[in-house]
Amino acid sequence: MNFIEIKDVVKQYDGHLALDRVSMDVPEGIIYGLLGPNGAGKTSLIRIINMITKPDSGEVLLGGKPLQPSDVAQIGYLPEERGLYKKMKVGDHIVYLARLKGVDKATAVQRMNQWLERFDLTEWRDKKVEALSKGMQQKVQFIATVIHEPRLLIFDEPFSGFDPVNAEQLKQEILRLKDQGSTILFSTHNMESVEAICERITLINSARVVLEGSVAAIKQEHKKHLYEIEQVDRAATLPTNDTLYSIEQTTRNSTLIRLNDGVASRDVISWLNEHVQLAGFHELLPSMNEIFIETVKALKS
Amino acid sequence: MNNLGLIIKREYMSIVGRKSFLVMTLLIPIIIVICMLIPVLLTKMNNESATETQQVTVIDETGSLAQAVKNTPAFNFVTLQGDENKPTDARQFYEKAGSSVDAIVVIPRDVLDKQQVTVYSENTVSPALLKHLEECLTDTLEGAKIAAYDVPELKKIMKDCEVELDVQSVKWDANGEENSSSTTAAMIFGIALSFITYMFVIMYGAMIMNSVIEEKTNRIVEVIVSSCTPFQLMMGKIIGVALVGLTQFAIWVLIIGAVVGITGLSVGGVGSDGIAAVLQAVGSINITYILICFVIYFIGGYLLYASLFAGFGSAVDQASDASQFSTPIIMIMIIALYAGMACMENPNGTMAMWCSIIPFTSPIVMMVRLPYGVPFLQLALSIVLLYATAAFMIWISSRIYRTGILLYGKKHSLKEIFKWIK
Repeated sequence: MNFIEIKDVVKQYDGHLALDRVSMDVPEGIIYGLLGPNGAGKTSLIRIINMITKPDSGEVLLGGKPLQPSDVAQIGYLPEERGLYKKMKVGDHIVYLARLKGVDKATAVQRMNQWLERFDLTEWRDKKVEALSKGMQQKVQFIATVIHEPRLLIFDEPFSGFDPVNAEQLKQEILRLKDQGSTILFSTHNMESVEAICERITLINSARVVLEGSVAAIKQEHKKHLYEIEQVDRAATLPTNDTLYSIEQTTRNSTLIRLNDGVASRDVISWLNEHVQLAGFHELLPSMNEIFIETVKALKS
Repeated sequence: MNNLGLIIKREYMSIVGRKSFLVMTLLIPIIIVICMLIPVLLTKMNNESATETQQVTVIDETGSLAQAVKNTPAFNFVTLQGDENKPTDARQFYEKAGSSVDAIVVIPRDVLDKQQVTVYSENTVSPALLKHLEECLTDTLEGAKIAAYDVPELKKIMKDCEVELDVQSVKWDANGEENSSSTTAAMIFGIALSFITYMFVIMYGAMIMNSVIEEKTNRIVEVIVSSCTPFQLMMGKIIGVALVGLTQFAIWVLIIGAVVGITGLSVGGVGSDGIAAVLQAVGSINITYILICFVIYFIGGYLLYASLFAGFGSAVDQASDASQFSTPIIMIMIIALYAGMACMENPNGTMAMWCSIIPFTSPIVMMVRLPYGVPFLQLALSIVLLYATAAFMIWISSRIYRTGILLYGKKHSLKEIFKWIK
């Protein structure tokens, strides 16, 4: 069953259409990518799921039921524009945000201590937020996002502002939360960062959904029949065969070929085996970035 | 509702927990006390600094008036008999006396006709000396003049003729019973309440605005509104800051009460007499009635203006841009304050009536009018209008607020802001 169902959501700001009949289904327990360039409408959609704004029309179902104010306790949200009260103590701050989400005080304090320990921040508990480095503040924000153990986690550009080490730690935590059964909605304009961890994606451009599906399927759908070939004799040039393929590019160690329409890779391999000594033969799938650029270009023309 | 409580608590603690709050709360009464004490101390110091007694020579041509001039700690008078036939040459005398004399007073023989006495000195003559001479000589000269008419008991007759008019204001209440009230006390009481409302709204309204801007520049606001509604956040702020203000006021009342009590005791009879007089004067006004009205207007006025500060604060992106919106709000308040002062002259006039009904000025102007008595219908209309407008302003501000807090990095014109309300 789909955990979130978004049906024909329309949102208009001041004469500018931010979301144009957007629909999206997020199955439970996966990491779902919401992709698109800046200004495409991602944040508008996320704010609607968070009940920060209301859609002009359309509806959002959570677990099969329309969103209700009490559902905020089931959602954890790390916005792109995020910050903390600088003058508050770290521990108090986390407990305050947890209690706003409906966690009772004792539980909030207990979980806060566990999480601070997990991130090696225990000694900072009674320090003011402004004394923390930016990376540490980001960790505190992450703790505040997940401390009420929400079933749905929404991260808007989560890795911005993290250094590579902390970004990796954050990624591991997100994967761990997924294993524990949380559904994770991941919004970013950085296509590559998502490719590795998202199972399904929705691509939004100019307020419209332009692509939807599982990452693997989308890549298959957009493949260009490009193959990279390595020979044992690295200096040797690849023989041409106009009926089977065309050579796209030759580099020092490998050759890039494009298979002609209707040609199976099996036939190419057997033909090549007769003429050269193959060291490697593998398909090059397009990156999400390439797919995105191609899709947008196709829409424009 | 639980969230509203949490927000109020955080807002309250975030201000009260700061060191600057404690410092300001303690400093302001000290500054006020110092400001009140400085004039008193200066006068006292001035009197004490004149320890060096000035030597003043009085040349009395009449031969009888000099004795009326009494010595004081500051001035020592030496009387010399002047020549009755020839005008005194003060300059000549001064040169002879040298530096042992600070000033010379000449009482001419025709002083009764000319009513003039001259003081000669090389330095500027101190006002204290002039005042002292005037006090000493006027009564004596008056007495001498009266005596010159030679009417028996003329002095007593004149005393009987003196009139010091005491205008007492008596107001009939609904039953036609007399109800004397002190106009001055009423006026002071009313204007004091106006000032309290004005000060409170300006100080804590600005505090709300800063708090809104701070949340926006901190970028925390989106995290918070994913857990509660923008309306809860705004109201939590308004109520939290009001509680901060009430705490601060309570501390001040305690401190000032303690200071007045202590000085009253140490000064003794004068202080307690003064306080008793004030209490009596105030007691003649219906104090409970006015205080209840004050609380009603105070809350209504605060909500009205505080919501405006919160709403427009949300449209500001940086604290330095805040004055663009806070200035017009403060201007309205200042107009209200001036209207209130103008209404003191004529508390039942047309302007006073309208200003005490219009919601933006009524919390201040009505306080001035109340001690003089306001018809119940006007009062009821004014309160209903005030609360209706406050509710409307809270609604409008919450609509501005929920849009404004999430729009970063842009300056917004009033025109845009009005669009958000729709």
